[in-house]
Amino acid sequence: MANRSVKISEIRSADLRAIYTGEKTRFADGSHVVPVTLKGGPAHEVFLRNHLGENPEEFRAQWRKAVFTGRGAMPKTFESELTLLEYVAATPGAIGYVSRISTQDDNVKSLPVVK
Amino acid sequence: MRWLSLLLLVGIGRLSAQSLSDVEIHGFVTQGFLFSSHNNYLTMQSSTGSLQWTDAAISFSDPLTNSLRVGIQLHMYQLGQLGGPNLHIDWASGDYRINDKLGFRAGKVKTVMGLFNDSQDIDAIFLWTLLPQCSYPVDNEGFFLAHLGGEVYGSLPIGERGGSLRYDGYAGESTLPLDGGFIKQLEDAGVLFTNAPSGKTYGGDIRWETPWKGLLVGFSPMVLAENGTAPGVSLHVPTFVMTAQYAQYARGKFYFAGEYDRAPFNEVLTMGQTTVPMPMDMRSWYVMGSYRLTRKIQAGSYYSHYINKAMDTSLPANYAKDWVLSGRYDFNSYFYGKVEGHFLRGNGIGFYASTNPNGLAPNSNMLAAKIGFSF
Repeated sequence: MANRSVKISEIRSADLRAIYTGEKTRFADGSHVVPVTLKGGPAHEVFLRNHLGENPEEFRAQWRKAVFTGRGAMPKTFESELTLLEYVAATPGAIGYVSRISTQDDNVKSLPVVK
Repeated sequence: MRWLSLLLLVGIGRLSAQSLSDVEIHGFVTQGFLFSSHNNYLTMQSSTGSLQWTDAAISFSDPLTNSLRVGIQLHMYQLGQLGGPNLHIDWASGDYRINDKLGFRAGKVKTVMGLFNDSQDIDAIFLWTLLPQCSYPVDNEGFFLAHLGGEVYGSLPIGERGGSLRYDGYAGESTLPLDGGFIKQLEDAGVLFTNAPSGKTYGGDIRWETPWKGLLVGFSPMVLAENGTAPGVSLHVPTFVMTAQYAQYARGKFYFAGEYDRAPFNEVLTMGQTTVPMPMDMRSWYVMGSYRLTRKIQAGSYYSHYINKAMDTSLPANYAKDWVLSGRYDFNSYFYGKVEGHFLRGNGIGFYASTNPNGLAPNSNMLAAKIGFSF
């Protein structure tokens, strides 16, 4: 899911992976993207496995490499889905994932992943 | 160094004008142990067991705008007689990314070369206690790790089914650190440098993330030259080209990688009227594989090989072969421990005359272990 300001209505699987590996910092329309993650838990693991093809340890190692080589900054991480949701709702360009979005979450929109 | 200071001042100036809550701080500390059956390795007294192997770093990074980020990493290491307690700048750069296809970095920038050159000091990301020493010698990482200059980088999509290409091109100056392995070896031969030899360097890296999920291949050329003077002695390494070709395959719990590196050069030491040529044609390669047994346990093995083709490769001093078995245990997201067995044949890499005054045995076995913390 993404902040309402995000103009795209779906995201390619390859683009999502590139964003969460730090290779891309922009959506396909050129606007700036702010990826955020959960610190752990089932939703985090399922997201990494299904969309990045990685486990949490590989994901963490990859971002440590970016940080300690000066080539990137880690995505913000959140302890709970609620705080992640609030951050995405309040931050232009933010994308993240939770196990379920409520219909009452007016400030975020779901972003289907396409092949 | 002047414009590096200017860059940092600009960054600090901007920093004071905005919230410090955006500044990211990360760091790591590691403590290693080596115990070898015969020779002393990496300037440590490893034949009696040595703990003289400590690494620590702290990095600060701040996104000033969506396109501009500044950062600095301070690093200290002690490896036997190499390194020391002083902090030095690992990297310090301004990074301006126009878009995903084109970005620039300037300052002291990590040098991309092969699979691991720019990340070889980040112990936390590897299963291995020691990376393949024939390609990434830890006693000389301070020389290869970074350069002072600039870099252009980006990522180019090559079609729906083509995967993507990542490129880096750089130019600047590299310096042989006075507390590093190359200078220590010259010191063991009686040549004492008081100023660090340095020279121009430029090069690049291109890596193709193929459409076959998990498979990456790449090529890195690097051009460099070094010049320096010590009392009564001058060192001249004419311009030469180093190359690295590599491939990596990561899928699920499996990881495989291989790399071939070559560095042919003719180092010349001049002492008064005497010139001492030291021809080198360093050829090295490794293959590695690992498997994640559980979330916390990873195991693997690699073989690392080096020869100096410019010399008699039947002599142990001109080759090195290292069979390695490794294990890693992650206590949690921050703490980990590693243990590794090395079966070393030849002594062309990592051995020093000053710590082996009675000469070198052709073969030795070694236990290496490390604990680390990273946040």
